[in-house]
Amino acid sequence: MNDTRSLPMPMKPASRSSRLAAALIVALAAGLVAPLWAADAPPPAAAGASAAAATAPGSPPATGEGSATRSLDEQIQDLKKDVVDLNKDLFMLEEELLFPANTQVAVFVSMDVGDFFALDSISLKIDSHEVSNYLYTPREVTALLKGGVQRLYVGNLRSGQHELVALFNGKGPHERAYRRAASVRFEKGVGAKYLELKITDHQRAQQPEFEIKDWE
Amino acid sequence: MPMSARRLALALALSAALAWPSVQAARKPDPNKLPSIRVQDLHYGEVLFQFYAGQEFQALTELEAFSQWQRMPHHAADADLLAGGLYLSLGMHNEAGRRFERLLTNDVPLGVRNRAWFYLAKIWYERGYYDRSEAALDHIGASMGAELDAERNHLLVNALMRQQRFDAAIAQLQAFQGSSDWMAYARFNLGVALVRAGRLEEAAPILTQVGTLNTNSDELLNLRDKANLALGYAYLQANQSALAGVPLERVRLNGPYSTRALLGDGYAHAELGEYQAALRPWLELHRRDLLDAAVQESYLAVPYAFGKLDANGQSADYYESALQSFATESQNLDTAIAKLGNGHMLDDLLGEDKDARYGWFWQLKALPDAPQSRYLYSVLADNDFQEGLKNYRDLAFMQGTLRHWDQSMEAFAAMTETRARAYAERLPRTDALLQTDAPLRLREARARVGSSLDAIETTADVAALGTPNERSQWARVERLEELVASLPAGEERDQAHEKLQLIKGALYWQLDAQFKARSYEEHRALREIDAALEELQNRWVRVQQARATVPSDTDAFSARIAALAARVQSVRSRLADASQQQNQYLEGVAVAQLRAQQERLDAYALQARFALASIYDRAADQAGNAPAPPPAPAEAPPSTQPAAPAEPR
Repeated sequence: MNDTRSLPMPMKPASRSSRLAAALIVALAAGLVAPLWAADAPPPAAAGASAAAATAPGSPPATGEGSATRSLDEQIQDLKKDVVDLNKDLFMLEEELLFPANTQVAVFVSMDVGDFFALDSISLKIDSHEVSNYLYTPREVTALLKGGVQRLYVGNLRSGQHELVALFNGKGPHERAYRRAASVRFEKGVGAKYLELKITDHQRAQQPEFEIKDWE
Repeated sequence: MPMSARRLALALALSAALAWPSVQAARKPDPNKLPSIRVQDLHYGEVLFQFYAGQEFQALTELEAFSQWQRMPHHAADADLLAGGLYLSLGMHNEAGRRFERLLTNDVPLGVRNRAWFYLAKIWYERGYYDRSEAALDHIGASMGAELDAERNHLLVNALMRQQRFDAAIAQLQAFQGSSDWMAYARFNLGVALVRAGRLEEAAPILTQVGTLNTNSDELLNLRDKANLALGYAYLQANQSALAGVPLERVRLNGPYSTRALLGDGYAHAELGEYQAALRPWLELHRRDLLDAAVQESYLAVPYAFGKLDANGQSADYYESALQSFATESQNLDTAIAKLGNGHMLDDLLGEDKDARYGWFWQLKALPDAPQSRYLYSVLADNDFQEGLKNYRDLAFMQGTLRHWDQSMEAFAAMTETRARAYAERLPRTDALLQTDAPLRLREARARVGSSLDAIETTADVAALGTPNERSQWARVERLEELVASLPAGEERDQAHEKLQLIKGALYWQLDAQFKARSYEEHRALREIDAALEELQNRWVRVQQARATVPSDTDAFSARIAALAARVQSVRSRLADASQQQNQYLEGVAVAQLRAQQERLDAYALQARFALASIYDRAADQAGNAPAPPPAPAEAPPSTQPAAPAEPR
């Protein structure tokens, strides 16, 4: 699938960036008048003026408050990065513990074009045992159509010969319910085994095609 | 291996990482984009799937893990750049900046580099890092197209003005050329910058130009109002009240800036002694929502103007009414402040946002239906507050993630213990088996069988491959041959010999006819034995390896689990602390804003009381000297110069 979509396009003034700008502009307008009123207003009103001056974003933030915000933000940035690193280490531990490479089998799903088939669900059987029955959300289908490859199933198998059967459910040409199966016999060796369920469009036959690829 | 015909552009990935709407583009090569790439590693495709499905955090986790496992050898560079985009979209601008600094080299197409720096500049700007935002914009090497250039210029000007560098902003704006929309913004910003630089005379025609724009666009109508408001207040500030009325009266009465314009217009007239005229905008303002600071101000301005017009009765009535309204509002603020200060402000806010997600692009859309909510709109409109709220939301999401892991750690620990126990139970049997030389004996047996078969084939011993019955018959024939040979020579022996040869020939013919097929079958059986022996050997080696490595593997896993469990605890605790700090900080900001409102109301109330007392004193004096002349106007207006309205939104 050729995907030649471009990088983000700029926002028109009516959208996000101008809202950002608008906030600043209004703030500047507020900042314009605040110092004057604060200086000239009689005592009771000056309280309001000073409050306005303190909050006007057009003015630089009070040093203490600004640095406090920034310091807290920096601290949270570091913490978030630590969480990402920790989450990665936990993810790796889980996979290495539960699905060691010598027994791991992973089944991936990819979809190309998708004009003739709208995916609803996929059921997987390995050696006649159902191992997965997955119902897709529209967002996930879109993710597949954009070129994402879903890791649908990860499990363990002993080395030797096995059979994978995938059952695809969805809507085929003319919005009709469509149900097709594909199967493959594969050899599980010492390393991890990756299988890819590929859904493609057969343009000449105007039908979807289902294929299972054994990644050596 | 490349995947069929699927091609992906990292440009799309990066653009989506930034959650910007992607746009269908022409299919010819574009020097501003990364070249289309084929997904060659399934795991890179999985990362993209998570990312396209909106699971940026999971995408980033998998991306980092798969990179460490080296499962994406064909996409190492793409993955790095995508990680930068993901860090950015998750609001981790510092990490994104570090990565972009390293990755956005000349190898990356210029257009991609420029856009990456541009979006980093935007997030830094929103987080209040104006210096970094400016520095990121400096990395942009060439034109990004008219629209993005305009936005970039706009961002730079804003960053400069935020840093109080008005002259630099003015120079930037004076050199700017763009579409009519962007020019309007640029002119407005230029006008504001000139005013801030004390150059009102130069600013006035520019702001007037924006303030008299002929447009139907809501966006530009708002901008027009803002220009007029800014110019009007700039005139008031410069004591040029006679000039302030014109721009202020151009502000729409139903727009978001109308209350401030009405207030300013009233003051412009009041400054000129035109109190009757001042009452028109102020009375209009007085009918509006008291939550607005300009409206609050009008509660003093109206009676002040009546006082100036010698309408002391009406003036007193309005002051009385103002006092009552201020008291009620002050009580409401007390209640709101108490609610906000309960330590759960952010949880209460986020509780309503069921679809809330993490990341930079998240925005709070709904407020809880609570008495304090009406006061929170102005607080929430503050960019710093929104950014802080995003941080809090992200921290809550991360706490949820680690809570899940915390539970898993117990299961992992139990799993390794079970494995260790199972290993200990199987160890004696395994050791006993490994001490035998079973594979060797089997391989020798196989070799013997192979040699026998070779000998049979070499000697064409067809009987050796016969069925048991055939072999028995062949053996019988051979025995009979010996017996016949031992008979005395004669006709009888010759007849027996002839008969036996006939039988032997028939049997040989039968055995020979099947010899090749049987030989083939034997070889096939040997190949099966070879395969089984190979599998046996592999298993034997694996068992030997497992025997040697399982104890250390289990120990290593146990150690990893223990270490990670400790890290989870530590990071959870830090997350809780940071959340609390963020909550306290934002709660403090919100409460301070509400207190400022309350203080302003209290100040107004005090002012109203003085004015009212003054009116009553004069009335009393006049009553004592009947027949009394009409009461003199109040001498202490609420504020001949009004307090600055609260920050407009």
